[in-house]
Amino acid sequence: MNHSRSLKQKPLVIYTPENRLRRPIALLQQMWRDLLASRELAWQLMRRDIKAQYRQSFLGIAWAFLPPIALAVGFTLAGEANVFNVGKTDIPYTAYVMFSTSLWQTFVEALNGPVQAVTVAKPMLTRVNFPREAIVLSKLGEVFFNFAIKLILIVALFLWFQVPVGWTVLLAPVALVHLILLGTLFGILLAPLGALYQDVSKGLTMVTSLWLFLTPVVYPVPSEGTFGMLVKFNPVTPLLVTTRELATTGVLSEVTGFWIASVFTLLGLLLTWISFRLAMPFVIERISS
Amino acid sequence: MLTQQPIDSDNTVHSNNEDVVISVENVAKKFCRDLKHSLFYGVQDIVTELTGGQRNGTVLRSKEFWALKDVSFELRRGEALGLVGSNGAGKSTLLRIISGLIHPDVGTVKVRGRVAPLIALGAGFNPILTGRENIYANMSVLGLSTREIDERFKDVVDFAEIWDALEAPVQTYSSGMAARLGFACAVYIEPDILLIDEVLAVGDVKFKMKCHRRLAQLREQGTAFILVSHNSHSVLNVCNTSIYLKKGQLIAGGATEAVVRQYEEDLCLSGSEAAKGELILPEKPRSQSAGLDIRSLYFKDEQGNRLETLICGEPANLHVECKAYQDISDANLGIIIKAFSGENDQVLYLTSASDGEYLNITPGTVTIQMQLPYCGLIPGVYSARVYVRSGVKSFDIVESFRFTVKAGQAMSRCQFYQPRTWKVTATEC
Repeated sequence: MNHSRSLKQKPLVIYTPENRLRRPIALLQQMWRDLLASRELAWQLMRRDIKAQYRQSFLGIAWAFLPPIALAVGFTLAGEANVFNVGKTDIPYTAYVMFSTSLWQTFVEALNGPVQAVTVAKPMLTRVNFPREAIVLSKLGEVFFNFAIKLILIVALFLWFQVPVGWTVLLAPVALVHLILLGTLFGILLAPLGALYQDVSKGLTMVTSLWLFLTPVVYPVPSEGTFGMLVKFNPVTPLLVTTRELATTGVLSEVTGFWIASVFTLLGLLLTWISFRLAMPFVIERISS
Repeated sequence: MLTQQPIDSDNTVHSNNEDVVISVENVAKKFCRDLKHSLFYGVQDIVTELTGGQRNGTVLRSKEFWALKDVSFELRRGEALGLVGSNGAGKSTLLRIISGLIHPDVGTVKVRGRVAPLIALGAGFNPILTGRENIYANMSVLGLSTREIDERFKDVVDFAEIWDALEAPVQTYSSGMAARLGFACAVYIEPDILLIDEVLAVGDVKFKMKCHRRLAQLREQGTAFILVSHNSHSVLNVCNTSIYLKKGQLIAGGATEAVVRQYEEDLCLSGSEAAKGELILPEKPRSQSAGLDIRSLYFKDEQGNRLETLICGEPANLHVECKAYQDISDANLGIIIKAFSGENDQVLYLTSASDGEYLNITPGTVTIQMQLPYCGLIPGVYSARVYVRSGVKSFDIVESFRFTVKAGQAMSRCQFYQPRTWKVTATEC
């Protein structure tokens, strides 16, 4: 009898073809439950992935430093040779490029994370019913981990170039989190489709390289022309610029843009999360062998 | 117990309802084998779901078919349900729906408790990482907290017998070791429902025995099982009730013996010919003969009456009628018998030579007999390969002679017929 009582306490799960959007309260409750349930799994998966990643790599954490350094060297040389005319930057140009590139790289990692996670976890997804949030959370954790390593480079950079740092640096992580969440938003939105069609991951590579040029990473924020407009309407611009400004001068130039982009990010994240949940069973149905 | 009909009266639902761990009601699922269409339908379904629309689950789109249709059954705690059916019958699809991986297009599935899918052995294993790390990753994917894994860790390692290899990367494991580790992880999450899909075929005999013991132990603790197998023996041994799926339809449900018998009969009927217990071969021209031709194969009982089917435990003689063109002093009759159902296991390999019998054959029509005082084969359909040789020279060979063995008495759960007598004697102390 003890057993049957304990069985009664177990949650009853019901699978029906009914559209889950028609029971929004139940959906939100389930999302919350799964988010809590996936924390430990996400932690385990993150540890697994990070360990595997570094164990199979000779250069290891150097990969967090190399891309920004390479880009900074390239652009500094090009700038000094007057190949193109960068405007005036608040901090030394080399530091500017390296810091911005690190931020951009983090954004791109957050953007690619969910798509990669779903693609890599395909065998697991098609066999075990675990909270799907876990793989996204684990990737998110990986992005933060990688940024923490990049932080070593950034600190060294700031010391070397004697970049002035104000108290606002304490607020910089908030802006950074918004930047990462914005990337995750687009990532989660594309992840289910990316598991179905390879076009998504291919397209994503193309789009991010184009996107880089519309973001003030290797140049300061332009103020005029069509290009200036495009850069302004790019939601990454205010988040990235604000993070950079908070960490350095503390003089903010994109406050309105920052709040608009942040609200957009947080609301959008909830909506894409819902869509991710709704879409995944259909994706798994189509990719299972 | 098993309900074939959809549950319509409230009484059936509420009586002993608390013991039901899985309830499947009228479930149907569509599938599409054309990849382009399949992916497109996937996108279509997602869009319908996201816009709040209701998918029309009951209508097939172009190139779709029913992978499952109108399947209903119930499973209670501690019960074991066998799931039989040929490849593509929808067995795996049903397991996927029960484990919540995909949603049914029609119908309802209710599941109470933690499900461990043994279709997922080693899910989440990363070959680069060590056994220890993989145990943690794999078991948390299966739904355990880190604390719970800590508690079970030693048991898992002991069960998988990988003490020495615990700190080695899993890619250095032999396939048997990896399979053991996967199985150990899955059975130690102590699930309420265990879905087993043809996985007990891994590992050596010793490990298989261990798996079966562990499964029996779980079942005593109240774990419910669904066992998918092509091998009717394992289903017969483990499950009291079974269901038989054919092309997505639930054809039969009930006592395992009856369901398995129906499945095996269907299997044989779907073969090219029914097993009539007699085979007559066309006469070969003299030029194509190697000196001896097998003309016909059939069974007779001890009185010389033709037997269409053998009866388990009863005597029978196999008659091999040959036409010989020459004297053969050391002919060797070989018979290799395979079980037609199940996994086509070879069950017997008998030759007269290995029994020390060299058959003396004179020209003309002769009949070689293999006399069986008891038919030891269990009920089922068999295929025999019959040859006549002399040394290494092969005279003639019949690739497949099919025959049926019927049950004479209760034979379930036996692997072969054991002749026996019983008696009681008083022991003087």
